[in-house]
Amino acid sequence: MLRFLDISNHALFWYYVASNLAYLVMLLVALKTSFAHQRRLESHRLNWLKESPLAPPITMIAPAHNEENSIRIAVRNLLQLDYPQLEVIVVNDGSTDRTLEEMREEFGLRLVRALYVPQVKCAPVRGLYRSDVDARLLVIDKEPGGSKADAVNAGLNAASSPYICVVDADSILENDALLRIMVPILDDPKRVVAVGGIIRVLNGSEIAEGRLRRVRLPRKSIEVIQVIEYLRAFLIGREAWGQGNMLMIISGAFGVFKTDLVRTVGGFRASAIGEDFDLVARLHRHLRQIRADYQMKFVPDPMCWTEAPSDLKSLGRQRARWQKGLLDVLWTNRDMLFVRRYGRIGFIALPYLWLFELLAPIIEIAGIATIVLAVCMGALSQGFFLQFLVFGFAFATMISIGSVLQEEITYKRYNDWQDVARLLSYCFLEHFPYRQMHMVWRLQGLWQYLRGDNAWRPLTRKGLASAGAP
Amino acid sequence: MLGPAAVVLKAIFAALIANGLLLAFILLRRTYRKWYFARRDARVYQLRQKWDAIISGRIPYDTWRTNSLQRRIVETIALDAFEAAGPEESARLLKFLRNSGLIEKRIFEARHHTGWRRLRSLVALGRTRAPEGIPALAEGLRDRNQETRLAALRGLGRMGCPKAAEEILDWVSEKGLKIPELPLQSALVQCCAERPQMLLPYIQRANGRVREVLGRVLGEVATPSMAADLLPFAGDELDELRAAAARALANSQSDLAPYVLDDLARDPVWFVRLRAIVSLGKLSDSRAIPSLLRGLTDSNRLVRLRAAEALVGLGVEMAPIFEQVVATRDRYGLHAYLTALENSNLKRKLEAEIEDESRMDQEAKKILQLVLQTGSLPDQKLRAGEESAPQMAAL
Repeated sequence: MLRFLDISNHALFWYYVASNLAYLVMLLVALKTSFAHQRRLESHRLNWLKESPLAPPITMIAPAHNEENSIRIAVRNLLQLDYPQLEVIVVNDGSTDRTLEEMREEFGLRLVRALYVPQVKCAPVRGLYRSDVDARLLVIDKEPGGSKADAVNAGLNAASSPYICVVDADSILENDALLRIMVPILDDPKRVVAVGGIIRVLNGSEIAEGRLRRVRLPRKSIEVIQVIEYLRAFLIGREAWGQGNMLMIISGAFGVFKTDLVRTVGGFRASAIGEDFDLVARLHRHLRQIRADYQMKFVPDPMCWTEAPSDLKSLGRQRARWQKGLLDVLWTNRDMLFVRRYGRIGFIALPYLWLFELLAPIIEIAGIATIVLAVCMGALSQGFFLQFLVFGFAFATMISIGSVLQEEITYKRYNDWQDVARLLSYCFLEHFPYRQMHMVWRLQGLWQYLRGDNAWRPLTRKGLASAGAP
Repeated sequence: MLGPAAVVLKAIFAALIANGLLLAFILLRRTYRKWYFARRDARVYQLRQKWDAIISGRIPYDTWRTNSLQRRIVETIALDAFEAAGPEESARLLKFLRNSGLIEKRIFEARHHTGWRRLRSLVALGRTRAPEGIPALAEGLRDRNQETRLAALRGLGRMGCPKAAEEILDWVSEKGLKIPELPLQSALVQCCAERPQMLLPYIQRANGRVREVLGRVLGEVATPSMAADLLPFAGDELDELRAAAARALANSQSDLAPYVLDDLARDPVWFVRLRAIVSLGKLSDSRAIPSLLRGLTDSNRLVRLRAAEALVGLGVEMAPIFEQVVATRDRYGLHAYLTALENSNLKRKLEAEIEDESRMDQEAKKILQLVLQTGSLPDQKLRAGEESAPQMAAL
């Protein structure tokens, strides 16, 4: 027993060191990449891009399911985006509230027979509507498909541009977000097949006329912690993975893809729990199989602001779903692991996700249990145990502060001193008990998946309309 | 003595020190930036108050030029104003930039600095659109760093003059494609718009990808007077050049254009057909109608869509065209046409035209109205079983 505990503790120690070192490397890579990106932007005057006759058209696809509180603001926001050739497709995915009526009133929709080729599978379409107020807006009213992927596929069937940009109907894009996200594509349209932008937490900020007026940190602790998580995930994780062309997730809330390529791989998989992750994995698989010279990029400055869960129950459901999605995609693509044809995806990105993302809750919870047991049985000195805890705390805090630093030196959206002070203080406070709860939610997600419980549980949201309220 | 605990202790100290340093850096940086921006804003305000006196030279240039903060602010204000200025104001600003020595300074920096500082100077030079900056920008094209080359290229693109185009074309002819294609095309489109003929000798001499890129640029900038020069490209072996010729012929006033475009609209390559169809639409010539009707039944959905848009946008009587669309008996072509019609909000107009059409009998009018309202071909129900899956798959 003591021997087992010793081995287990050593394994956990090295696992923890490896995990944190990986994050440290990513932080350094991300800092370097961000600096380079900022400098590169100096030679990209955005208005030059806007005036370019060669800027390719984009179709924005925004699936909406029971979004009556947000839909007017969200669609207005999309139509206000700064981009020369834009088409906006909103997919009303069988909403049972007034989502369609709200749009009809606001944008003067009329039933049309717009060209719709069901090239990728989705639930039947009831009707297509064109706006009299803005001809760039097309609304697809369809039967509920039970997933966001199904709704996006309907939009994909009606899209007429070489690029699609998938966004959430409850998100707000910054005015120049499309111009910014297109920078890598305009630089190298042959190789760049997909680009992801950054998602930020909208809670606490003020919105007016479909635009973000003032960025503020949310008031509730649980929301502030999510701000740090998003900064860490996007400004460190994705920036670094993108740099190595190993980006495995382009967020479903804001990403641009080559339309033909998405159609070639059959669109979004309706049964996938994490449809965005699933699509990127399938794109990597397809492109590696045909030995294409391609790139998937992450750009940190085009920002999409989205409402994060503001209560523990909703947050727990969201994180459990993300974990289920992770397991679903990793399991589906397990044949890519350590296969030469899939290169760095099969040898680095996927093993990392298995080891440090998927199995993390199991390893960490089991590890904590064995350490406590070892301390109780005298196999581990209490002093060493405490040192290990302090080390873990200090290291994880350093990574979180690093992500805040990254935000500070590059995009600096939180201008208020009070906001920054709170953000930094939560870098210290997030570790207990939030991290442990997070582990439990993720474990729950794995358990639900293994039991076959893939039901979508709704999250409580206030809607964009309430975001501007003081 | 402590064994592994010593390692952990050292790691704790290192992590704690790193945390302290990071926090200190963030806080100090914030404090410095607050001070810097307050100072800069105050200075911007002062300089803006005296802006007219500064650019007219009434305030001697040396009073602000010797101070780097003031010089940066003045240059930024001038360049920002330049981007939005009309011709008269542009001339005034350019004169100021020259007389104050700001352009000269940027040219010097672009020639003598390296890396990031060179890149920044090249961008600023491009923003001035001063022709004397062209040689320095052209030298930037030969930099080892791709970002610097791109900055130089974009700068030359901003110049928008044949001299800048010549520099780019000479460089591409000499070195080949050393940068991604789109920025190159974009810069050439801007620079060759004034004199597109200058592209022709370069295209004739070029090979491979460079020839394709130049062909695409030609397609963007060609003018009606170039029709004769472009006709040989319609039979070129390169798909891109045929597509470019098709696109360029949209601007042609030659009588031959509809016939050449009709040929190109039958090309085996879909994007050549697409460009030909779009150009036929732009010609606004009734001779294009048969080709556009054929385009409506094309195997490619984009070609069908553009053909439909072109037919709707022709500006001729729509009822006879709609009759021919129905006669094609192509369900997808019909849908594409109806889509274009509805997108242009012309459905009511077509209804009225069908009613007023004197050459049609009542039965034909009734059928056309029914097709217009339902979007289905007259005997489509009977034919529904014959089409479906295979045809959909072919799409």
